[in-house]
Amino acid sequence: MIETVIRKRIEILADQAQVKRVTSIIDEVGITGWTVLPVTSGKGREGRWREERVMGTDKNLVVTIASQENANALAEALAPILTSHGFLLTMWDVEVIRGERF
Amino acid sequence: MEAMGIQALTSPVILFFVLGLLAAFARSDLEIPEAIAKGMSLYLMAAIGLKGGIEVAESGLDGTVLAALAAGIGAGLLMPVYAYWVLKGFGRLDRLNAGAVAAHYGSISVVTFVTAVEIYSMQGTPPQGYMVAVMASMESPAILAGLLLARGIGSDSGQTKKELAHEVLLNPSVVLLLGAFFIGMVAGPQGFDPVRPFFDGLFKGILCLFLLDMGLIAARRIMDSRALTWRLVAIAILLPLLNGALGTALGVGIGLDMGSAAALGVLCASASYIAVPAAMRLALPEADPGIYLTMSLSITFPFNVLVNIGLIGALAAMLTGSGAAIP
Repeated sequence: MIETVIRKRIEILADQAQVKRVTSIIDEVGITGWTVLPVTSGKGREGRWREERVMGTDKNLVVTIASQENANALAEALAPILTSHGFLLTMWDVEVIRGERF
Repeated sequence: MEAMGIQALTSPVILFFVLGLLAAFARSDLEIPEAIAKGMSLYLMAAIGLKGGIEVAESGLDGTVLAALAAGIGAGLLMPVYAYWVLKGFGRLDRLNAGAVAAHYGSISVVTFVTAVEIYSMQGTPPQGYMVAVMASMESPAILAGLLLARGIGSDSGQTKKELAHEVLLNPSVVLLLGAFFIGMVAGPQGFDPVRPFFDGLFKGILCLFLLDMGLIAARRIMDSRALTWRLVAIAILLPLLNGALGTALGVGIGLDMGSAAALGVLCASASYIAVPAAMRLALPEADPGIYLTMSLSITFPFNVLVNIGLIGALAAMLTGSGAAIP
């Protein structure tokens, strides 16, 4: 049986233009890795949106896995700008192998 | 002149745009893959930059070019100022959104310019090649003006200022347009020959497909729009009329030929939907893209392509004494 440990998986939905800001904050709080995934369309409080790369109004999903401590630090760093920058942040527990890496 | 107006409206470039509008309004699933649309926009900017540079390599630079550059940059800085007050007063927007929209109306739309060049060339009055450099120089000043109006001086953090300076000076449109322009100047007509089939031969076809995509996006965006009011719709039509007339008169005033004066008018009338939205998402994330992008892309862009380019051409003809009828 492979041993697993519990870590936090965090997803942040952000405008393309704001992705660098998000990944910089992830780096600053000491989380070692992140992945940026393209998304195609959606709907929220402001209405519908869709991927429009020409206009640079597309969104991305920034995914990272971190310890509870680092996840809390990231949430605290992003909380003040969640509304103004239109971010959507979710996190939940996941099981990972090689827990020392996260 | 009337025949020229009909000729412009029946050109494949315009008809593909209308097809995109109609398909989206009819809720067709037609769409251009995003990666291809992005690739086409890069191709168009590289091609128009190259062609402009080659024309300047042939004709050379003189005082008229400097005057056109100064006029373009000056207009880019001034147009957002009165646009801002109109948007705040008549449009009833808050300061942030008024500043963001004003920046769009001070900057330019490359595709509107390219479409105008195609139409004016078809009518026998092509603008001079250096107007491409004027266009590139007008991309960024309005971003600064709009942000100053929205935020005031000194309100951004050092990090934001750094990011913003990077975006203003090195945004992809400016880098590609100016880069291709200088490549065209260095290469000259002979150097251009080996790549001519790609950048010249395919140009109109790719412009048709890109305008099809713009028609689809413009119509879908306006159908999803919740934030537009009749006041904002009126501004999105009246501002390009005013800016286009002022820009054309300015062009004639500084001694540009008819095609180039009309091109300056089109640049002033056009509103950005590529470079400025990206900068606003970075620097003014609180501003609503449902307002600024819908106004510039879904109202002003179709109005310019379908109506205003013709009006500006007629005004330039009238002011330069080449004709007086409105197409």
